[in-house]
Amino acid sequence: MPATNAHQKFVEIIKPGSNYEFIGRQKYWIGLSIVLVTLTAIMLPLNAYVFKSRGHMLNWGVDFRGGSEIVLEFSKPVEAGEIRKTLADAGFADADVVKYADPTGLKKWNYMIRVAAVSVVSEQQAKQIQESLAHEGNATLKRFEWSEGGDKVYLRYDKPVDPSSLANSLKAIGVNTNQVQTFGRADENTYEVTLVGLDTEIRRALDARLGEGAVAAIPSVESVGAKAGKQLQFDGARSLLYAILLIMVYIAFRFDLRYGPGTVVALLHDAVITVGAFAVTYKEFSLTTVAAVLTVIGYSMNDTIVVFDRIRENATRLRDRRFDRIVNQSINETLSRTLLTSATVLFVTLAMNWFGVGVIRDFAFALNIGVLVGTYSSIFIASPILIWLNDKYVISQKRQQSTGRNARRPRRDDDEPEV
Amino acid sequence: MERSWWWKAALYGFVTVVAVLYLIPTVVPEDKQPAFIQKHFQKRIQLGLDLQGGLHLVYEVNVDKAVAGKVDRLASDIEDRLHKDKGTNDLVVSREGRDDIVFTFKPPSDETKLDDAVLKDYRKTLDIVSRDATTGVVRLRLDPDQVEEVRDYALRQGIETIRGRVDKFGVSEPTIIKKGTDIIVELPGLKSADFERIKSIIGRTAQLEFKIVDDGSEYMRKVAASVPKNDKGGAGIDVVPESWTEKDSSKPHEDVTLRSKSRDTLMKFFDGLTGELALPPDHEIGYEETQGRNENGEATPDRYWRTYYMHKRAPLTGEYLSNADQTWDQQTGRPEVSFEFDRQGAAISERMTGDNIGRKMAILLDDKINSAPVIEGRIGARGRITLGGFGDPFALQQEAKDLVAVLRSGALPAPLRKTFETQVGPTMGRDSVDKAKISMYIGAAAVVAFMLIYYRLSGIIAIAAMILNMLYMIAILAAFEASLTLPGIAGLVLTIGMAVDANIIIYERIREELRLGKSVRTAVDSGFARAFWTVFDAHVTNFVAGVVLYSYGSGPIRGFAVTLLVGIVTNLFTSYWLSHWMFDGVVGRRGAARATLSI
Repeated sequence: MPATNAHQKFVEIIKPGSNYEFIGRQKYWIGLSIVLVTLTAIMLPLNAYVFKSRGHMLNWGVDFRGGSEIVLEFSKPVEAGEIRKTLADAGFADADVVKYADPTGLKKWNYMIRVAAVSVVSEQQAKQIQESLAHEGNATLKRFEWSEGGDKVYLRYDKPVDPSSLANSLKAIGVNTNQVQTFGRADENTYEVTLVGLDTEIRRALDARLGEGAVAAIPSVESVGAKAGKQLQFDGARSLLYAILLIMVYIAFRFDLRYGPGTVVALLHDAVITVGAFAVTYKEFSLTTVAAVLTVIGYSMNDTIVVFDRIRENATRLRDRRFDRIVNQSINETLSRTLLTSATVLFVTLAMNWFGVGVIRDFAFALNIGVLVGTYSSIFIASPILIWLNDKYVISQKRQQSTGRNARRPRRDDDEPEV
Repeated sequence: MERSWWWKAALYGFVTVVAVLYLIPTVVPEDKQPAFIQKHFQKRIQLGLDLQGGLHLVYEVNVDKAVAGKVDRLASDIEDRLHKDKGTNDLVVSREGRDDIVFTFKPPSDETKLDDAVLKDYRKTLDIVSRDATTGVVRLRLDPDQVEEVRDYALRQGIETIRGRVDKFGVSEPTIIKKGTDIIVELPGLKSADFERIKSIIGRTAQLEFKIVDDGSEYMRKVAASVPKNDKGGAGIDVVPESWTEKDSSKPHEDVTLRSKSRDTLMKFFDGLTGELALPPDHEIGYEETQGRNENGEATPDRYWRTYYMHKRAPLTGEYLSNADQTWDQQTGRPEVSFEFDRQGAAISERMTGDNIGRKMAILLDDKINSAPVIEGRIGARGRITLGGFGDPFALQQEAKDLVAVLRSGALPAPLRKTFETQVGPTMGRDSVDKAKISMYIGAAAVVAFMLIYYRLSGIIAIAAMILNMLYMIAILAAFEASLTLPGIAGLVLTIGMAVDANIIIYERIREELRLGKSVRTAVDSGFARAFWTVFDAHVTNFVAGVVLYSYGSGPIRGFAVTLLVGIVTNLFTSYWLSHWMFDGVVGRRGAARATLSI
């Protein structure tokens, strides 16, 4: 029995020899991509300026926006509105209060609150402190130092002051302190005030309104100063840029220059659409999301390279075919692999999305989108660009040939009529 | 089988055994581990902060303030010198910007008094920017190298100080690292209840203080009389009398102190005193950890805390230190720290010690008494701190060096400002692990089912490769003692999904070869050969993305990058070479080439 017959019963999703037309219909697919990318471009300013409830281009997490994100676990049912009101009364205006996915499955009432403040003292309060502490006993305040996000205030007087009386004066105007102590040389009369943490202050406010012990626990707190947030935004953008540059260098080294731009446009396309999905759903866009986008880039590359490898191989093997036919055939040949891999990865990321909590969930969401778009872009974005660049390249080679240079050039793919 | 196949079998077997050995400390409870494992393989995967719960803090060090402080000190030093040595009285000294000191002399001709004799000690630190004889204005600037040094010192100082404080708090594995002008502090496993406390401890300013102990006081005698006796169910506090005589005048000193095993016990006791026994407002109690002694005066391993009743005011602080060095005690050979005061500090020290000869001077570091030697004579510009620590000399020397680092700039010269904070409670962490595990199992189950259906028996090879990949990955993570974060687990899960990709690429190739009518053995070999560069390129590009992630990422994201990178390397190994070897085992039996392959 010939070996060929023995292997006819493969389980196959794409029959061998299938020749779906991808390249011929590329304009529709590119059109779709343009629509998606444009949608992203429109969605960002819409979020920022038109949708009042959104207010930012993306739902930046505290790590980018600056502020504090606190998860509160209540010991009894509480309304979000009541929390918001309590916080407003305690001086935290514009607090976001969201029901937090119940992580344990036990009967608990969890909320995530997000406030712009990082420290218990707002800018307004800082001014108030400065005014009301201008005279302490017979000493006059000479310098007042406070920074947003700091948990310390420095006060310098012209004469020595008793730290404990300073603490009392602060308490009188509603600022709770952990510690007040002298700072630096004794003759400098400088006092360091350590403020109570934001989470403690919020817990105190909520317990006061809802009864002692209402806040059962504070499972997590995250706070970022505005300046650190800017730095992280910058770092995030820079890392995406580096990843793209490095990948381009590798492609140029392993393949040739024609293959580079297609890959890079494809992965930019994937990154943009993934971000677009975050703009439309207004899911939180945090540091972890940037990590997810970087992973999507890696995945998108992976996918494009498998297709390109086949194109390169076929291009040397089938020299007498037109280049766009070679590309179409290569896509068909790798199609089952492309679909299978995407399916397995998608299985896994969907499982992460359904069962994961918090960070993992948003991470998996970005990957879901990224895997879908990444698979699509290696076929419908990267390949057409490769064909286009190849045509340009070949035409310029032809010109060189007609002017007499490079006369011994080997035969090119398009020298022959279509088969 | 060919001989090379057996060699490979031995190699892969060996690698797998080593991987299993590295894995044991992580998965098997400690009391059930075999003895040789406990001896040679102790490294294990740590749970990251987000899984274990804990505190992640980022402090920005205001280094410019440290530089300005240094300039201020230099300015007052020079002013002091001009005043004493040259008799210059009508002089305005100010700091402009961060680095400039401006002297304005009256009359202007006095500017010549700021001559080389005065400036000789500052030749390296200060540059003369301009000198105007008509207006009497001299402008000096801190040398740029010095600026760098001060900035650098302020940062290292901050790290040293924070580390010392965190260590005292007893957090199991703190990470304190520098990033730019930021200090990152990670305290995994810290209990939520301690968050607030440790934050205030870290943020506090390190202060070295010298205070005079008020011995023989009426107050302490009264307090000592009120201490409940131990044998009658007391609070675990002993009353210990002590006495010494002055060296020169032989004048006797007598005092009583309280001693206990725990500092908290003593503190609570003093807090509870009221009325007549309440602590006078100008005094306070200092605590020192001491070694117990038996009747013969020999040291015992017991540790005690003892009290000092001392004046609240600290006439002398670390601010006046000009230098500190780690030296050795001439008699005992133990490491110690010697220090030097600046001119002003020396003057204060002379007055302070001269007035209190025969008394004890408590040296406090961060509110803890380091030592309290008896003042035997007038102490000028120099002094030393004998380390009260116990333990091996090497550790003591380290401690001495750390102390030098802290003392050299005295209290924290640059204030810390918290810019980033993440707190994770332990329940949050545990729950995340459980959920991540579920998604891992489901993802793995889906992949296994799919591979078995689609590739039938060859699917088993892919699954075996996937399982071995997981094993190697976790073993490598354990060998590096990497910490596993929530995104790290996501990286593991994702690796499961991506791992089969290489297998799929190879299998599809083998199928193509089979369709061309090649024999099973040729098809397998050429399938693997032709798929190699595709698989390799795909892994490399993913690796590049992983490297960028690692170098950019902070905290948890790094965890993800690490698992991703390790996974890419092990995956290339298992899904290509190891799978190839397994296929050879299935199809490569000598003599009987198989006609079919279940793929």
